[in-house]
Amino acid sequence: MTAPRTFAQKAIERASGETGLEPGRIVDAYPDLYMSHTASWRCIRTLEKMGVDTLYDVDRVAMVMDHISPAMSTKTAADHALCRDFARRMGVSKFFDVNAGIAHIVLMENGLVRPGEFIIGTDSHSTIYGALGAFGTGVGFSEITAAWVTGKLWVKVPESVRIAIDGDLSPGTYAKDVMLKLIGDLGADGLTYCSAEFGGAYTEALSVSERMTFCNLAMEMGAKNAFVAPDETTLRYLDEAGADRGDLTVLLPDEDAAYARSVRMDGSSLAPQIAVPHTVDNVLPVDEVAGTHLDQVFIGSCANAKYDDLVIAAEVLAGHRVADGVRLIVTPASAQIMARASSAGVLTTLIDAGAMITNPGCGACAGNGGAMADGEATLSTANRNFQGRMGSYESSIYLSSPATAAASAIRGVITDPRELLEAAR
Amino acid sequence: MNLVEKILARASGRPKVDPGEIVIAKVDRLIMHDLSGYLTADVFDRQVGRPIPDPERVVMVFDHHFSPPTERQATVLASNRAWARRHGITLYDCGSGNLHHVAVRHGHIRPGMIVVGSDSHTPVHGALGTLAVALGNDSHAGTVLPYGKAWFRVPETTRIELDGTTRPGVTPRDVALWLVGRIGEGEMNYRALEFAGPYVRALPFWERWLFPLVSVDLGAKCGYIEPDEVTEAFVRALPGGPADLLERSDGDEAASVLRFDVGEVRPQVACPPTVGNVVPIEEVAGRPVQWAELGGHGGGRLEDIRAATAVLAGRHIHPDVRFNIVPSSRAVFAQAAGDGCVSALHEAGATWFPPSTGSNQAVNMGALAADESMISTHARNFPGRNGSSEARMYLASAESVAASALAGQISPAQEKS
Amino acid sequence: MIFEGRCWKFGDNIPTDRLVKSEYVFEPMEVMAKHVLEDLNPDFPVQVRPGDIVVAGRHFGQSSGRAIATKALKATGIGCVVADTFARTFFRNCFEVGLPALEISGVSELVEDGHRLRVDVGGGLLTDLTTGQKGRGAAADPFLVEMLEAGGLIKLAARRTDLFESGGRPFSQ
Repeated sequence: MTAPRTFAQKAIERASGETGLEPGRIVDAYPDLYMSHTASWRCIRTLEKMGVDTLYDVDRVAMVMDHISPAMSTKTAADHALCRDFARRMGVSKFFDVNAGIAHIVLMENGLVRPGEFIIGTDSHSTIYGALGAFGTGVGFSEITAAWVTGKLWVKVPESVRIAIDGDLSPGTYAKDVMLKLIGDLGADGLTYCSAEFGGAYTEALSVSERMTFCNLAMEMGAKNAFVAPDETTLRYLDEAGADRGDLTVLLPDEDAAYARSVRMDGSSLAPQIAVPHTVDNVLPVDEVAGTHLDQVFIGSCANAKYDDLVIAAEVLAGHRVADGVRLIVTPASAQIMARASSAGVLTTLIDAGAMITNPGCGACAGNGGAMADGEATLSTANRNFQGRMGSYESSIYLSSPATAAASAIRGVITDPRELLEAAR
Repeated sequence: MNLVEKILARASGRPKVDPGEIVIAKVDRLIMHDLSGYLTADVFDRQVGRPIPDPERVVMVFDHHFSPPTERQATVLASNRAWARRHGITLYDCGSGNLHHVAVRHGHIRPGMIVVGSDSHTPVHGALGTLAVALGNDSHAGTVLPYGKAWFRVPETTRIELDGTTRPGVTPRDVALWLVGRIGEGEMNYRALEFAGPYVRALPFWERWLFPLVSVDLGAKCGYIEPDEVTEAFVRALPGGPADLLERSDGDEAASVLRFDVGEVRPQVACPPTVGNVVPIEEVAGRPVQWAELGGHGGGRLEDIRAATAVLAGRHIHPDVRFNIVPSSRAVFAQAAGDGCVSALHEAGATWFPPSTGSNQAVNMGALAADESMISTHARNFPGRNGSSEARMYLASAESVAASALAGQISPAQEKS
Repeated sequence: MIFEGRCWKFGDNIPTDRLVKSEYVFEPMEVMAKHVLEDLNPDFPVQVRPGDIVVAGRHFGQSSGRAIATKALKATGIGCVVADTFARTFFRNCFEVGLPALEISGVSELVEDGHRLRVDVGGGLLTDLTTGQKGRGAAADPFLVEMLEAGGLIKLAARRTDLFESGGRPFSQ
């Protein structure tokens, strides 16, 4: 009888064909999917240099042109063209162009991420795939190139940390606030190289979109991957996304699996949280920074620009106008989300409030606009606030939930969204 | 005197002006965008440094950027904002729309005005019966801002009379493009153009707009349409200010008249490398395009968006094409969202962008690779403006742009049955 | 106002976008000057010498009305620019930034790239010193000559505040 195992152990055993893997073991795993974004051109150039023109399994290659979309320079235009040409030539069917949206969201929406799968991506927030019970982790371009050719990647089996979140959140607080609080408490290195397994009654009740926010932000504590156990909610999402359920391998951790640590959190008394400059783990309750002047508010990124995020922002903004002097940029995470927001009237509410809606994609989170000059400040729903990430080294980035972002856009200063939500009731 | 002469005479305080003479005239409106405004402000601060006595005459619109991608560009915009605030200049920030559309829709342009701007398509405001002329940054910094004046050479005027009925499927944009091909790029150098005749008179305002727009392609100093009840009704519906500035010519004959029958016109395309390289669309039909765009000074109007919706609703664009839609103003975007065009075109595979000048000069978008082609409603197709100098830009009507996006190749709009 | 130098010849309808490509718009003037017209003649920005003369065909300098195109061309050190015709904003900007411009109909047929030219801007006269051919254009308006002599419009406006503070015609006839 094998020892009880965590999700990470099971996922890596499945992907490597090995058994009895203990944390610390290094094995070759065969990922189910290799995601690379705009900079896929690096991998293509490397292949050209190596003189390689056959791939291990082209069906496992996914390329999404999300980071600089569309091109603003001759160089980027040429990079995109190289990727398109490569995809056509090699028959990469999972190619998504500059109009599709953020890679992570696009792949999940299109049913290309399934429970139990081992997925690597050239983006550190590839931990997000844990929202569907997959093992997702970020890698470099050379590792993606190697996987294209050999089909495999060496991987060290991580220790697992169990994070149980319970309690009902009060109105005006959201999954993002829970994660910001957790990051503040555990620190930016709190889960370094660990598999973060989220559980507890609160987590179980979350939508897949909210689970995405959880697993995405786990990266900001250094996690190798993140995980929420697949359930009915997951299966419903997979069906809507048109995922193939034929050979689904739902992997669940064993009851008495060995965890390096257990963390518990009760969200019932949680206030909206803000990560203040210049690190993600520098987190304060909103009242401690309320009133901070803002020049720009960005609702976007793979952390919080999904459909429900836009709905929350629209609820707060309905009937209000963005404050003079504040630029509110809303970048839907994907074309599908844009479509839903448009047909449901959410877009109109946002436009009427004075938001600028951009094309779907990474947007300002990846330097596609949103750059700041010296002395400016942005409140963003993204996942990073490092110094200089949005333009000037002398500018400030604050992180929050979409509700806090929307409320702050109305007032022009960091604002507790509960003030506006209560007024609306 | 004709309209242009009357406006110049009034503004230079003289009873009469004659073509060829140089006058110094009072300017009513200076419109600037984020690039030209920055260059003007820079010259003004470094070389002029006087007060601006009439800042209410100046309007700045950020339209080349919808959001700055680099710190350098963010600093340019921040500097523009600070400059506008310091001098009390009205500013429309990123996402408001295209400079010319924003200036008109917010009531900054009135018939009879002298409107100047660094943007070379400033003559488009002649659609409201203004004298609208593009000047360089040094005129703006050196004389318009500190003195409210500029020097002008009084132009000779050519009247372009358009008569007849267009064939089915031929749009005003086709007629305007055709005129440039027919008359020839630069052939109307330094002149004023009056667009007249029953065809022009019968057009609604936003279709008339397309004619003064091409003045610059013909080399003209300005282009205008004699104000009439269409102009008056349009201006009365705009916010703010009096609408009784309507100035009309005394009926003097223009120095020369060119007459055309629009019945000859077929759908047209301006092909690279210049705006004057205009051919009937059949001649280039079948050339592949990877990009299509509604936007720019002449595109992204509600008319364009509706035309594209009529072509594309319930269908899907070609898989190799990316189709960008850039509304000309925030009001147009809101209206398109409200009446279902945003959803319909999104479902057809188009991507919506913030109101701006879109791919004009590839500031936020629109850089093309060497092998790529774009067909658009833009006003310019010169190499070097959009990424690789080897990329190809084709200019056409919204109908043809949408039909080409559908086909993946340059394609005339199918006539509606 | 007489210039003598090598002829750099360009074609018809050349837009400002060929003088300053979009990607250099935010760069400093020295950088813009290093790329002027490079797509049409890569040798030009590299080998141009102070006092050289640019000759173009019809409608030279169409497209953007921004003065940077004329400023970048001037920053290459050329003495003057001659064309069959100019786009009007470009022509205007030349004088406003202090770059002499002369219109001579047919000049692009008259001279060849690499010839030595002498141009008298005030007198409206061009001589091809290699062939001895001459071309004549209209003498510049006195207002524009005064602008050139002042070093551009801004300097003229500072010197002749009477012109712009009072308005009306610049020169009493």
